[in-house]
Amino acid sequence: MDESCFSLYCNSERYTTGSPTLADPVNELLRHFRQDSLGVTAALTIQFYAVQNRADVPLTISSSACRLASGTGEAVGDRRATGLPYEVTQDQGILIVDFHRVGVLAIDGKQGHAKGYLINPEQLPATLVEYLFHLTLIELLRRCGLYTIHATALEHNGRAILIPGNSGRGKTTSFISLLRSGYRYLSDDHPLLQDSGAHVEVLPFPIRINVTDATVQFFPELRAASEQVLHPGVPKRFFYAEDLYPTAVGERCQPALVLFPHVVDSPQSHLELLPKSRALEALLPQALLVYDQEVARQEFKVLAKLVQQVDCYRLHFGRDILDLPKLITPLLEKRR
Amino acid sequence: MADQMEETISELVTASGIDLTQLDRTLLRPSPDVQGTTMDGETVLLDLSSGRYYTLNRLGSVIWEQCMKRQTLSAIHAVLCERFEVGAEQALDDMVALANELIQEGLLQQERR
Repeated sequence: MDESCFSLYCNSERYTTGSPTLADPVNELLRHFRQDSLGVTAALTIQFYAVQNRADVPLTISSSACRLASGTGEAVGDRRATGLPYEVTQDQGILIVDFHRVGVLAIDGKQGHAKGYLINPEQLPATLVEYLFHLTLIELLRRCGLYTIHATALEHNGRAILIPGNSGRGKTTSFISLLRSGYRYLSDDHPLLQDSGAHVEVLPFPIRINVTDATVQFFPELRAASEQVLHPGVPKRFFYAEDLYPTAVGERCQPALVLFPHVVDSPQSHLELLPKSRALEALLPQALLVYDQEVARQEFKVLAKLVQQVDCYRLHFGRDILDLPKLITPLLEKRR
Repeated sequence: MADQMEETISELVTASGIDLTQLDRTLLRPSPDVQGTTMDGETVLLDLSSGRYYTLNRLGSVIWEQCMKRQTLSAIHAVLCERFEVGAEQALDDMVALANELIQEGLLQQERR
């Protein structure tokens, strides 16, 4: 069995798997958190196994199990829709997420353990393995007081800006526009939030940056980038922030702004201040999926606290994409 | 202790609608499955049993706030008449309509003293 050790903000995590196909995407996802070894017993343990058939998954569901949800799309967590059919069941305190032909996850949040059984993983795209691992991880982290939202995040002079939203609303494009102007990188898709008592903080979760062809066209440096920098990928290409911009990973910090972008056919972008209740309403679908009521209650409180401490705007994102920092930076400076 | 006594002499009303003849005996209490927060005068509620969330406007937020204080519907009606420029009849209609909706959604529970 291959073993990888990680440390995520005082939460030690040990990941074991017998399959290189299941090891590589996880090591890539958590490359900023990798440790040579853990000097302590890991608080969180995740094991992923490769199986040949659905019948090989050694899980039985008891008659007292409670089905919580089923459908197609996002099952747990906040990542973009996978389009996979799924079924979520709670059985004796264990959350079982059944992705049918792809595999099954069994997450014991209270104990900090999870197991995944993936069917013929060598036939699965690495991004899907990464997704399944990530949703397992965030379910465990939620119980440690670390929450995530579907947002990009940057840091500028010790203050964070969050840009939540679904694909196609200008989230990554606005993020790159700020990144190339010197903002520091926190996360492309899922920053972590932690209530530090006096305030909520945003913690970096640096991962590779996925871009559509349309986004690439907006930025000259991306258009000119070689395949060694802008790596091929389907459906999106990807790059690492440090390969393209003189930027570093930002520090954990207090957020100052939350922007909810949407693309408008207008030469200039403009901002519309949002009432906090509307901002919270817009933020909830990017974060919460309720399976454990007490965890969801705590997460709701953290999101409400976050909204209380920041200014929230609807960003009507026009065609002046490269000029976005001129609109945003003065707001951050004003908040200092 | 007062709370405990109140529990013992109150009864949970299972009928769905508000009885207009019992406003001074009727209390509405938030369901234990609901987590809420009020900001900028509006209240965002999360129903933990369903995962649904709701936003109450200013009137709804005042009703919610008074329910949290365990006020009777008569007392809530009086507060609405005092805080909003609205006739007593309109305030009553609005309060009962919203209360019935929130009861139906499982966000409020009706209790009679």
